[in-house]
Amino acid sequence: MSKPALYLSAASTISHQPTFGNPGFSAALGPVEASSALISPDYKAYIDAGLLRRMSKILRMSVACAKDCVGQAGIGQPDAIVVGTGLGCLQDTEKFLNTSLTVEGLLPPTSFIQSTHNTMAGQISLSLGNHGYNMTHTQNTLSFEHALLDASMLLREGDRHVLVGAADEHIDILDDIAGRLAFKSDAPLTSGASFFMLSAENQGNAKASLADVYTSGGAGYGQEEIDAFLDRNGLQPGDIDLLLYAGTPAAGVPVQDAKRSLDYLSLIGVYPTASAFALHYAMDLLGANSEVRNVLICNTLRKSNLGLTLLKAVEA
Amino acid sequence: MGVCITGIGVVSAIGMSVNENLNALREGRTGIGPLHYLQGTKASLAGEVKASNDELRAALGVGTEYVSRTSLLGLQAAREAWGDNKRSGVIRTGLISATSVGGMDRSEVFYKDYLAQNNPDYQLLTTHDSGSTTERIAKELGITGYINTLSTACSSGVNAIMLGARLILQGTLDRVLVGGSDALSGFTIDGFRSLMIYDDQWCRPFDDSRAGLNLGEGAGFLLLEGEKSLELTGNSPICNVSGWANAADAYHQTASSPDGKGATLAIENAIRRAGIGLDQISYVNAHGTGTKNNDHSESVALQNVFGDRVPPFSSTKAFTGHTLAAAGAIEAVFSVLAIQHNLIFPNLNYRAPIAETGLVPATQLETGVEVHAVLSNSFGFGGNNSSLVLTKYE
Repeated sequence: MSKPALYLSAASTISHQPTFGNPGFSAALGPVEASSALISPDYKAYIDAGLLRRMSKILRMSVACAKDCVGQAGIGQPDAIVVGTGLGCLQDTEKFLNTSLTVEGLLPPTSFIQSTHNTMAGQISLSLGNHGYNMTHTQNTLSFEHALLDASMLLREGDRHVLVGAADEHIDILDDIAGRLAFKSDAPLTSGASFFMLSAENQGNAKASLADVYTSGGAGYGQEEIDAFLDRNGLQPGDIDLLLYAGTPAAGVPVQDAKRSLDYLSLIGVYPTASAFALHYAMDLLGANSEVRNVLICNTLRKSNLGLTLLKAVEA
Repeated sequence: MGVCITGIGVVSAIGMSVNENLNALREGRTGIGPLHYLQGTKASLAGEVKASNDELRAALGVGTEYVSRTSLLGLQAAREAWGDNKRSGVIRTGLISATSVGGMDRSEVFYKDYLAQNNPDYQLLTTHDSGSTTERIAKELGITGYINTLSTACSSGVNAIMLGARLILQGTLDRVLVGGSDALSGFTIDGFRSLMIYDDQWCRPFDDSRAGLNLGEGAGFLLLEGEKSLELTGNSPICNVSGWANAADAYHQTASSPDGKGATLAIENAIRRAGIGLDQISYVNAHGTGTKNNDHSESVALQNVFGDRVPPFSSTKAFTGHTLAAAGAIEAVFSVLAIQHNLIFPNLNYRAPIAETGLVPATQLETGVEVHAVLSNSFGFGGNNSSLVLTKYE
């Protein structure tokens, strides 16, 4: 069942933490504060000012990360663009919903246009002038893993470089909704976007190797599913140097016996595609720390959904 | 053997089942009319499914009232496509649905009360996110494991079929139920009205006087099986999913390019993937929304690919309305029907060709033709262009 390894050569994250344009950030990252806000780069360096004015938070984050990533990877054009988002363009969705319920007569269309889930992927293709495969996955807390799976398949089908990422944005009403629906988390609700260049070959600049991705929905995961995943990849829990897991009170620590475990939600906050940050964190750490070889990202943010991503250090 | 279609299901404004849809297509009977179930919108005409949420819930045996119409329509079509297939411990089975609005039909009920501070029911929001509409369908059918949702606006349905086929060819899944579902909502009706592309008259795809679309709702699902699954289920293939492609137009967030760049790429690559000649396409089920922009751009793309030998083509959106993320899946089901019954469906409401391109769609039901291969197009916001080639199983 072993699949050929794929390579991650670039990563870019905009979040509530100093992750953007800051290689080595993983060494000094503390817990995310409830009072924290999004740390925005100078978007004008990435996005035309006229476009920027109309763009919501999630669009700015996504286009800036995507462009930064393509620049880092040093390739002209990716063969495909694949994006995951759990809740999509909430800011524009709420804005148009509000307008359509309160305004009589002609409505301004911009927020409707920008409310569809594939606005990020579409805007990225526009900003890069990219005519390749363009896809948007939205499967709740597994949206990013599904995007990563799709990107992996494209590389096995012959593509060389795929730009893959995820984004979700926080809007104020989410805190109210989370409270009313009794969503429990120790970490605050936040926004974040992470994009990556995933390639079929290591062109000498790979930071990590993506060994496997797995998703399972609808059943309520079991320990045996995680064990089987590790087994397929020739690993025991004790071989995992770092376990990054979504630390919800309900889920607990999903794998015992890993050498080290870290709750990534405590670092980045809660949004449906927070596991994309975990991937960037793992890449950053693998680039800096030669003792870490195997990193497992275990996404159990939602009890019925299991996402597993296995990263390995690039063989020298 | 490739990827086979062994089951189909559809619900739309022209019927609650494959048979009802087929009859309406044969009879040239549109399902577009004044809205009856969704109240309070500004649309004079839309392609509404002729059943209330309560009727759908009762018919489908769904207990909870916290379920979106998108899920209910999806379940109706998915059940029909799934038929009496059984769950299996050996056949790795997945579900991929496509939706653009997700549970917006419920969210807008919440938000209206929320704005009015009229005791809003927050539970309604548990069906908001698009992924949850698919999770609900999966739960009712008892499918677990690979469950995924695609959302690329109006091309989503074709993309779900494409992804399913790829998962089978890569050996990740043995069979997969693929499709799309979208319910009408005030949100989307207002949205297309704000873009000034919602026609208050009947939509007129590919007609020179076309002035916009009519929205519709519904769902289409197809059961795809690979070789291993077919051996175990013994199901009879109806068609093959032979070609597919997705390409970005990269021209404008909503408008299609005048040279049809993305659409041309999608059509060419899908036919190339199918490994057949251009002259082997028997029928094109066009995207044909009835907007000035789409139908012109799509016509140019068809001429780019086929030159002066454009195959018989029609848009079925004047039957169903534009069902957004469901459109590609519903029209894939119609394409299967075209192959199964050797039919070319009429393009309703057409009078005169678009001046710039002069293309004339099929306007009468054609029954005397052999339909071997159908090209189905779906193009969406974000310049998302997808094409699918279905061929007769031989």
